[in-house]
Amino acid sequence: MTQSTSRRDVLLGAAALAGAAGLPRAASADTKGRIVVGTWGGDYARLLNKNVEAPILIKDGWEVVQDQAGDPERRSKMLAEVRLPRGTSDVQGLSALNMFQMQDAGTVLPIDYGKLKNAANLIPSMKYPYGVGHIYSGKVGVYNPKLITTAPVSYKDVFDPKHGNKLGIIDIQYQYTMVCAALAAGGKVNDLEPGKKLLLECKNAGMRIYPTNEAFAQGLKAEEFGIGVMWKARVVQWQNAGIPVTAVAPSEGTLAYISGFVIPKNAPNKDGGYAYLDAMLEKSAQEAFAVDMGYNPTVTNAVVAPDLNQRIGFTPEEIKKLVDLDYDYMNKNDVEFKDWWDKVLKS
Amino acid sequence: MAATAATHLQSDEAPTSLLSATMLVGPATVFVAAGLLVPLAILFRYSFNSFEPRRMMVETFTLGNYVKFFADPYYTGVLWTTLRVAALCTLACLVMALPLAYVLARTQSRFKNVLIMLVVLPLFVGNAVRAAGWMVLFGSRGFLNVTLMQFGAINEPLQIMFTEGAVVAGIIAVNLPYMVLTLQSVIEGINRNVEEAAFSLGAGPATMFRRVLLPLSLPGILAGTILTFILGMNAYATPVLLGGPKFKMMGPLVYGQFQLNNWPFGASAAFILMTATLGLTATANILIQRRFRR
Repeated sequence: MTQSTSRRDVLLGAAALAGAAGLPRAASADTKGRIVVGTWGGDYARLLNKNVEAPILIKDGWEVVQDQAGDPERRSKMLAEVRLPRGTSDVQGLSALNMFQMQDAGTVLPIDYGKLKNAANLIPSMKYPYGVGHIYSGKVGVYNPKLITTAPVSYKDVFDPKHGNKLGIIDIQYQYTMVCAALAAGGKVNDLEPGKKLLLECKNAGMRIYPTNEAFAQGLKAEEFGIGVMWKARVVQWQNAGIPVTAVAPSEGTLAYISGFVIPKNAPNKDGGYAYLDAMLEKSAQEAFAVDMGYNPTVTNAVVAPDLNQRIGFTPEEIKKLVDLDYDYMNKNDVEFKDWWDKVLKS
Repeated sequence: MAATAATHLQSDEAPTSLLSATMLVGPATVFVAAGLLVPLAILFRYSFNSFEPRRMMVETFTLGNYVKFFADPYYTGVLWTTLRVAALCTLACLVMALPLAYVLARTQSRFKNVLIMLVVLPLFVGNAVRAAGWMVLFGSRGFLNVTLMQFGAINEPLQIMFTEGAVVAGIIAVNLPYMVLTLQSVIEGINRNVEEAAFSLGAGPATMFRRVLLPLSLPGILAGTILTFILGMNAYATPVLLGGPKFKMMGPLVYGQFQLNNWPFGASAAFILMTATLGLTATANILIQRRFRR
């Protein structure tokens, strides 16, 4: 008696389990498929969902899953998975430098622009053979007019040892800070030695180093320092938060920051990856990112309101003078630069 | 006859015992082997590979990463800082935890459980969240500086954040409950009569502590010290958030190498940290055990 009840229970349990296992399949049978997108967390992830995934992809029948983590962790995962026939993500959001690095490491798929209907609208410089630029901004000079009475017009004015401890830099932005300092010292994007020398002079004069963008913003707000460099988009967010800063496009040319997406070579759903890239280039999604996040569109058909464009965008002359990193040079020397930054500049 | 019976009993019981032992030990062993030992073995092998910026990790067998670590004063300096901070925090935890643990162990109060819960309470909050609390307290416009300036004790904010002192305070706050709980459970197991016997034989409180309580609670001190020392050596969130960009301990150093995709050097730094922690822990264990036996 006991035995038969137990067996019945087991059979019932097994049936319930089988039914439960079938549920997600039944649900996903109605979708075009699943797209796993690797992205930073926070605002970026939220806005991807709000402006790209929910109104375009999910509405179109795709299931989208975000794998949120910092880019170092996601790059490590891509490297660790490179030998597997099937990876775990279909698209990965990375900076242009990191996109190059992952391409160099043989982890990403060459982009077939014929599969992207919105590719025709892409700004040519955002069409990488291995990835697609999503949004961009530039490293501008930022200063608090209360503490810095003479407005800077160049990186040279920002990285001036005379500012003493009123100059602040960000630890996690060592690559871009070194390039800005190199441009300030008359160097080039593929020769950072003059920048190193200038940074040491600034350090000896009392330059402050903040660990993160957020700590840098807090320092600005508390008036611990009054001048530095930052992404223009982030400056807009700070201004909105009431931090008293003004941005200036440097006369040496603004160092560009491009955030884009790549498709891993072993992406389980490559068609889904292309669908994601196409959706993020949609006019509506690009315009919404400019409004919500303060970054500039990478497609020519996106319309940004003139008052917003004045705050987040660049003039045609400034766009002409945008400076890009030398990806190969940076990639080859990254470990050496970080060593110098940690052992010499921060010592 | 008796021998035959014993043999029979053994042969009868042996398979069952073996099976039971396997059943009991097996799941945990498989889990540890798969989840800890296999990744450790892979990481150990990686530590002998070399790094090239374009190819990231190159399969080879070299001691170069270990040589680089010990030949560079920067890395050995980070290791020494880690050892110093971990030792300092462990000592401070021990000194602060002993009286607290003694009171908790000996109290007859009906609120004893509440008191123990109060000690455990900080463990309900993650390290990063606790460090964020310290940031609010220590910041240049934080609670401490603002209060001191309000009362006119200082004119300029004190630089507490991004100092070794802030990191030590933060790690002590994280590790203290572990030490208190370990000591409390051991002291509770020591019969109160032995303390009273010492007092009745003329020993003062200090002598009783030195000659009776301390030797009897040595196993707890050893366990608590090992636990807090290991936690101090491997601290990550507290040094990053409270130590700032210029302060480096081994945990953030290891992670930083993986961020640079230099897995071979990151792996070797991880194994140096693990070996230093294990070596010092084992040495302390042996030394205290010897003293305990005496």
